[in-house]
Amino acid sequence: MIARVADHCFWLGRYLERVDCTARVLHVTLHLSLDAELGPRQCWLPVVIVSGEREAFFAKHGEEAAADGELVQSYMTWDEQNSVSLVRSIAAARDNARSIREVVSLEVWETLNELYLWSQSPAARDEYATNRYAFYRTIRRAIELCRGLLQSTMLHDDPLDFLSLGLLLERAGHSARIVDVHHHALSKNEARLEVVETGVWLSILRSCSGKEPFMKRHQGRVTGPAVAAFLILEPLFPRSVRHAVAEAHARLLSIRPAGARDLPGERTLARLGALDAWLASQTPETILPIHDLATYVVSETAGICEEIGRELLGYGGGSAVS
Amino acid sequence: MAEEPHPSSLFSGYPSAPGTYDELLEPGGHLRLPFRRALAPLASTSPDAITRWQGLAERALLNQGVTFSVYADSRGTEKIFPFCLIPRLVSAEDFSHVERGLEQRVRALGMFLDDVYGEQRILAEDPLLRDLVLGAKHHLPMLRGLRPPGGVRIHVAGIDLVRGPDGVFRVLEDNLRTPSGVSYVLENRIVSKRVLPKVFEEARVHPVEHYPARLSEVLRSVSPAPHDDTHAVVLTPGPYNSAYFEHSFLARTMGLELVEPADLYVDDDRVFLRTTRGPRRVHVIYRRIDDAFLDPEAFRPDSLLGVRGLVRAYAKGNIALANALGNGVADDKAVYAFVPQMIRFYLAEEPILAQVHTFVCARDEDLRYVRDHLDRLVVKSVDEAGGYGMLMGPTASAAERDAFRRRIEADPRRFIAQERLELSTCPTRDSATGALVPRRVDLRPYVLTSPAGPWVLPGGLSRVALVPGSYVVNSSQGGGSKDTWVLKARDSGRNDP
Repeated sequence: MIARVADHCFWLGRYLERVDCTARVLHVTLHLSLDAELGPRQCWLPVVIVSGEREAFFAKHGEEAAADGELVQSYMTWDEQNSVSLVRSIAAARDNARSIREVVSLEVWETLNELYLWSQSPAARDEYATNRYAFYRTIRRAIELCRGLLQSTMLHDDPLDFLSLGLLLERAGHSARIVDVHHHALSKNEARLEVVETGVWLSILRSCSGKEPFMKRHQGRVTGPAVAAFLILEPLFPRSVRHAVAEAHARLLSIRPAGARDLPGERTLARLGALDAWLASQTPETILPIHDLATYVVSETAGICEEIGRELLGYGGGSAVS
Repeated sequence: MAEEPHPSSLFSGYPSAPGTYDELLEPGGHLRLPFRRALAPLASTSPDAITRWQGLAERALLNQGVTFSVYADSRGTEKIFPFCLIPRLVSAEDFSHVERGLEQRVRALGMFLDDVYGEQRILAEDPLLRDLVLGAKHHLPMLRGLRPPGGVRIHVAGIDLVRGPDGVFRVLEDNLRTPSGVSYVLENRIVSKRVLPKVFEEARVHPVEHYPARLSEVLRSVSPAPHDDTHAVVLTPGPYNSAYFEHSFLARTMGLELVEPADLYVDDDRVFLRTTRGPRRVHVIYRRIDDAFLDPEAFRPDSLLGVRGLVRAYAKGNIALANALGNGVADDKAVYAFVPQMIRFYLAEEPILAQVHTFVCARDEDLRYVRDHLDRLVVKSVDEAGGYGMLMGPTASAAERDAFRRRIEADPRRFIAQERLELSTCPTRDSATGALVPRRVDLRPYVLTSPAGPWVLPGGLSRVALVPGSYVVNSSQGGGSKDTWVLKARDSGRNDP
């Protein structure tokens, strides 16, 4: 496929996932701020940090503003200067899809275009003002619908593989960042159940849609390290780092098979394969300190994305073809 | 059958515009005979229902992203092409005449291009035509003696037709380079079917959905490679082009890749696509970029758009371009005046379709007439399109006419003039009041040509001037469109292709 088109596919996948992650984190934090006995700053500052916007947010609104849930939400939802706000990410996803309309299926395009048009309309402002939960849910459902339609209405060949690759690497990075931001809370191995910390742990699980899968694995016993290990290492949980990286590796292998020495992508494949193997070799017992582990995963996924750009998407002159 | 008026009809009280032909209604306010049965369900629909359906139609077009970009806006703002739900109908009899006329015309124009880039027989016969052609902006002398792959030059033609008060279809303009609009024909049809299913079913309309399949066949038919090994692509300038929606639409519906110039490169006079698996050979390009921007090596060194070396590959016969290079010399507005002569010269036939009488200012006696009658003429610059660079004499001010007269005298070759035509009207929903009002329409049918000959899509783009009294139907100037329903002949089967 055309390298430029692959680039749009990859970024469409990343933005779709980013919209979903941001909407889910806002949704869950809104919930947490109501029923856990946490200060507003403890609730909302992590939202800003996970999105990578700590400096920009502080510069614009001051450090104290992180305690203002409404301000954080409007910054993460509407701010046109914030490159990861929901409206910006939705527009970016839609721009990428619009550049490759002949590649994404009509159903996917329509769903995404409708989400974009709605996000720009008074109806969206209205729903945000009057029913915040419904607002986040509308966005998440549209993304879920896109994801389902991608699988059910597109050929399962290179374009979808690049799209999935972007989506899965964004997901791996996001899950790792969530764990990282909360590593203090997750490192405490309290024997007794503390209401506050259990609340935080559960909300971390919810922000990755992982509460019910976690409960099935642990029969209701919640501890910080178990939550961290689950989000990083559980091979069968679709939002765990390990699962996302293994799936991304599989997608890359179908784009660029291991033996195909004449095709570009050798370094990317080696690096993603190494991360996959390393994650597979970890167990909750041998696991590194949570902070080190999460930092390593975040920097490796970022590095792999750069490698993909160089080798497969035609960035920086060294294009996909020689 | 009794001639009953329709007191409760959607069309009752329709204020016909005097002195014009209405596409759907007779002067007395009755539906035209061939449309009575087909439009009966629509006529008995209430205006409220039409308003509701119109809203649904616009919503559907917006959600599908059936939009065009506005050039004046650097951010690439998208607008939907305004759509009127009330269809424009063409009877089987009228369309069969149009179809035969278009086939004849496109065939003659193709032979004319072969001749211009070959022996130049017709130019030897007519010195004025010779001057016009050899001096035309779009004439490319470097192509002389070069036969395009498959021998086809006008793979896709969009011929603009208008209807005067006499009800006769006339050719207004030929578009033989990169005619656009066919995606709206197909999208409008989808919307009609979705919003007016019962009305549509009753009317027995020729389908248009097979256009992309036909176009894809045409592209393969001119390939320098074997049919099944052919790799054809659609070439677009990119998402900020005003017709980008159409480019992606055609690529998607043909199952071809949509490429931008930077995705292609030429090596050893062959064209390749940059892919994630290395270079891939390309044989046919359906290009939606003008000649001048195709290859900076051959045309404009300053162009960032082109594919360097493409013309060399074309000259070697290694790549087919649809449409061929150099076609602009045949759809030049001055050369238009000579098409009936071409039909007689190449085919030894009389033209089937009428056209609009045209004064060619390069001709002295025409220039004198034009200068003295600007108040009743429409003057067009030969090398501008989209309704730009023209003077509407009857509505222009004296100062505007004087200014234009000086432009004409300075460079007569660049101008032609025509009597202003009372374009036919079609009942159109006024978006403010919801009432049906007469608005002027034209019709752009599409003609595909393979080595086997031309084929006319039974349908076309009906563009409508949404401003009361306006004659300008171009989308860039506030025009809208309607679905065009070409009715099947009375005796043809329901599954007629």
